[in-house]
Amino acid sequence: MEDMAKIAFGFYTLIILSGSLLAVGAKSLVRAMVGLIATLLGVAGMYMLLNAQFLALMQILIYVGAVCVLIFFAIMLTRADSGGEEAESAPLRQNLLALTAVLSVGGILGWLVMTRPLVTTGVPVEVAIEKLGLGLLGPYGLAFELISVVLLVSMAGAVLLAWERRNGK
Amino acid sequence: MSALTLYQLVALILLMAGLFGISQRRSLVGMLISVELMLNGAGLSIVAASQLTPANAMMGQLGTLFVMGLAAAEATLVLAIIVVVARRFGTTKTSVVSTLKG
Repeated sequence: MEDMAKIAFGFYTLIILSGSLLAVGAKSLVRAMVGLIATLLGVAGMYMLLNAQFLALMQILIYVGAVCVLIFFAIMLTRADSGGEEAESAPLRQNLLALTAVLSVGGILGWLVMTRPLVTTGVPVEVAIEKLGLGLLGPYGLAFELISVVLLVSMAGAVLLAWERRNGK
Repeated sequence: MSALTLYQLVALILLMAGLFGISQRRSLVGMLISVELMLNGAGLSIVAASQLTPANAMMGQLGTLFVMGLAAAEATLVLAIIVVVARRFGTTKTSVVSTLKG
């Protein structure tokens, strides 16, 4: 990697690390969501570094623009006020068990990643947006249609679940 | 250490943060945030693996786009479930929401 890329990589890693710590550890859910947004922006920066600009834009558009707004709605609709549901911290035993689970999974996967290096090309490949579009319409058309059906069904299901019936109807 | 390994380690950090959050959070919204973290780690890992290896780069980027679509669908449904649970139980604490239909 070039020097600038190294600096940018370190910067984004720092953003991702602190954002995910905030998202997992914050007492207030709104602060946790701010941490999630920081993490998502850091990942978008990583996509930029990986020469996938379209994905970076989509990451900001879909995650920061849509999913985070949804999570904000969830926080507001359940009236989880700032000192609310996460105010009392989890018992020590639960924290220890969670830490054990995380460290075992992370240890195994990290060991696998570190000890089995793959053949890499030094510079990320560039894929033109036209190729992505043609891929969605051509070889991956079925997956594309299935995703749209899944989105439609989940939206219809969400409306159906959250529908409030008036009394007496 | 190659660049791909570094990216994979960052994705692993995201996975670990999400896993820790989902087992330690005590409200449904906090767990939803953790799931989003894990899905982001998966996306980053897929893109890094496809962009930095001789594999088909287009497939990797499209796969991550599909992961984003699935995450959006999942967030929509979880929002609806949280609204229903909050209406029925008055809270979204996982310790309270533990009765099944009976």
